Amino acid sequence: MRNTMRLALTAGILGWLLPAPAWSADQQGGLSMAADTTYGCLICHAEKRRAFTLGIHSEHGIRCHDCHGGDPTSYERDQAHRGRYIGTPGKLATIELCSSCHADADMMRQYGIPAGQLAEFRTSRHGELLLERRDLNAPTCTDCHDAHTILPPEDGRSNVYPTNIPGTCARCHEDAQLMQQYGIPTDQFAEYRNSAHGIAVFERSNFAAPTCMGCHGSHAALPPGVNEVVNVCDHCHLLIGRAFLQGPHNEPSRDGELAGCLGCHSNHGTERVPPDGIASVCVNCHEPSSRAGLLGVDLQESVVEAAADLVSAEQAIATLTVGGKQVSDERFRYQTAVTEYRQMALALHSLDVDLLDELARSVRSNTELVRTTAEVRAERRWEHKLLLVPVWFLAISAIVFAWFKFRDLAGRDRTS
Amino acid sequence: MIGRTWRAVTSWFTNMWTDIKASTDASILGVARFLGLLYGPIDRSLRIDQALQKALRYRLPPHVGWRHAFGGITYLLFMILVVTGVLLALFYRPSVQEAYPSIQHIVSDVSFGWLIRDLHVWSANLIVLAVLAHMGRVYFAAAYKPPRETNWLVGLLLLFIVLAFGATGYLLPWDQWAYWTVSEVLDVMSSTVLLGGVITEAIMGDAIVSGATLSRFFALHVIVLPWIALVLLVYHFTLVRRRGVAPPTDVREDRDSWRASAQWKLEDFPQGIPFFPNHLLRSFVVVVLVLAVAISLAALFPRPVGDAANPYLVPGELVSTWVPVDVSLALIRFLGPWGLTGFTLLGFSLVLVPLFDRRPERRLRHRPLAAALGLIFFIGFGVAWLTGRQIRSVSPSSRPAAESVRGASEIPEAGLPLRDLGPTPPRPAPGEEDSDPAGREP
Repeated sequence: MRNTMRLALTAGILGWLLPAPAWSADQQGGLSMAADTTYGCLICHAEKRRAFTLGIHSEHGIRCHDCHGGDPTSYERDQAHRGRYIGTPGKLATIELCSSCHADADMMRQYGIPAGQLAEFRTSRHGELLLERRDLNAPTCTDCHDAHTILPPEDGRSNVYPTNIPGTCARCHEDAQLMQQYGIPTDQFAEYRNSAHGIAVFERSNFAAPTCMGCHGSHAALPPGVNEVVNVCDHCHLLIGRAFLQGPHNEPSRDGELAGCLGCHSNHGTERVPPDGIASVCVNCHEPSSRAGLLGVDLQESVVEAAADLVSAEQAIATLTVGGKQVSDERFRYQTAVTEYRQMALALHSLDVDLLDELARSVRSNTELVRTTAEVRAERRWEHKLLLVPVWFLAISAIVFAWFKFRDLAGRDRTS
Repeated sequence: MIGRTWRAVTSWFTNMWTDIKASTDASILGVARFLGLLYGPIDRSLRIDQALQKALRYRLPPHVGWRHAFGGITYLLFMILVVTGVLLALFYRPSVQEAYPSIQHIVSDVSFGWLIRDLHVWSANLIVLAVLAHMGRVYFAAAYKPPRETNWLVGLLLLFIVLAFGATGYLLPWDQWAYWTVSEVLDVMSSTVLLGGVITEAIMGDAIVSGATLSRFFALHVIVLPWIALVLLVYHFTLVRRRGVAPPTDVREDRDSWRASAQWKLEDFPQGIPFFPNHLLRSFVVVVLVLAVAISLAALFPRPVGDAANPYLVPGELVSTWVPVDVSLALIRFLGPWGLTGFTLLGFSLVLVPLFDRRPERRLRHRPLAAALGLIFFIGFGVAWLTGRQIRSVSPSSRPAAESVRGASEIPEAGLPLRDLGPTPPRPAPGEEDSDPAGREP
């Protein structure tokens, strides 16, 4: 009786435990492909399993036959490749295949993914080449997103992760033979890597800085037109963009006579114009002796002086810190000066000379206060050394007295 | 004219000195009695008058000279450290949030706060040199031999206490140099066999140098160590008083008589140097000189204040502000960590010297091994110190403290490794993927 009860109890526990994984898998939409050894496609295509199971589609229960068709319950090749089987889709078929789900707004809503990629792709240069001209050199979905290991953009392993995007684009755009057919240069990636944007992305992991798609778009990739450049840069450089629109360079830029922001900052190799390089940028278009050329020199002087003021204020704060001074007030003034210095960039882009002069004066005023504090402090530190005069006067006097006393004691000893 | 002026000045000083002499001959106790401080039974039972008279009649051995002043200098510097330390404690606040601002307040706002703080810092440096000079004098004069071996060991304990004072005080400014230097030292300590583990954790009080460490160091610096130092100093002075100053090295000492009396008597040196006024006058000169030098160093070379301590930011360099750190820098730079360990062991071996070197012979040329050991240690210390002063700073080897928390290394890095931006992978040839129209190759 007791043995029977033990058996019943053991069976009960096992019965409770064993179905649990099956139930759990069932709740998630069946066994994952990695665990399902009965899935027919894997008998021949086992090497694809790992690549696919790393991707996002596998996580959501999509399997080989959902894209490639065929019958995964059959273990014979001919039977498995029958029915709606399409094999490896071509470039055009890939677009059709992907958009069968990704262009379906109802289906994509649950994943929070926009459904406009196909519509965007049609407007892009890539889409034009592939869909209209049937140019198979143009990329399809899988060229950028991979065929099997499709990962979301926020996944560091993804081809479209911010630091990976330039490399993904460069796979084609660094191919000189390929780009020659379209008259496109191949140095964009090299230039970008050393640009202000590239340094921000690669070295500082600042993903607010744009990669290729930040300016060109992703699915709707297209080089911006000359008169569109300012608006593209304006996405991030909002205040600078507004200032530029108020300045004298806006009109020629709108008319296509000036390459907007690129005229001074270049495109892929985007550079900051250093304070002492402002005048040299102006003379690229204006005569050095012209009014505009001379104005460039004046602007440069103002900015260079403000930059020097900031450097000297920074050094003064460092000196004050080492001297043990509480520098919160000085830091506040320095930060104010830094803000004003940055605002000078707005005045430079709108070429508002009055505003620039006012800001330069304000930078000078704030940094001057910091420097004055440091000078007063240094003076006080020097005054500390004056203490040594009375100290050594007293010390030497005491030693002289002691010497007289020693002499006196020595004389007394000799007498005794 | 010049001669007449000189004589007038000399005469003026001589008359003034005569007046001072006359005033010092008056009994201080007379003033105390006048004020009622030694009234009645107190005066009679304590017999202060007799004790003072005895002290004034006290005579030191004739060979006691200026080279014996280092012990007194050490004590003077200790007293300067106590006084300036008490004054600093009036303004210093031992917490992570307030320690650094309170140092800034002391240096910037408190009247003569800069002088008090820098005098404290420089006295902490000078006391190490004074202790070592005192030890060197005792060592080469073989004053560690019986019957004074106990006092040698007490002196070594006092050296350890001085180093502990400096080490615990080093963290208190709570700036980047202090924080990261202490972090480095504790990092090294935690990896040693004897000091590692429990002791380091107990001192640190946390997985990294933190507010707990600051509290512990402050408590050790201002509460624990002063009491230990006081007890050891009293014992040290008592032993000096009982055993006396060691005779010159070429004079053999009668140990049996020492053992029999165990007390230095007034009549031992009838021809010795009077404690008052001769020895006190010499001490007065030393006190004045040491004070003037310490104040000068404080005014001319103030201890810089680094940026506030930041456990997440390793500074570019650690600037040394204490003699033992200078020595360590030089040893580590030129001999590596083993050099520092070896030198420390050499220092510890001085503890054992009186246990092995017990012969009555005290002349240096007859003690070649002891002389060599002493020369290596004391000259080595001097050379390392001067070299370390030239190096001044060293790049820290520590990782940011937040990373050095135990077990942090086992936690995988946040995020996933970024792709290598190396050579661009080859692009598949156009139409390559469409090369299997029969769909045989998925």
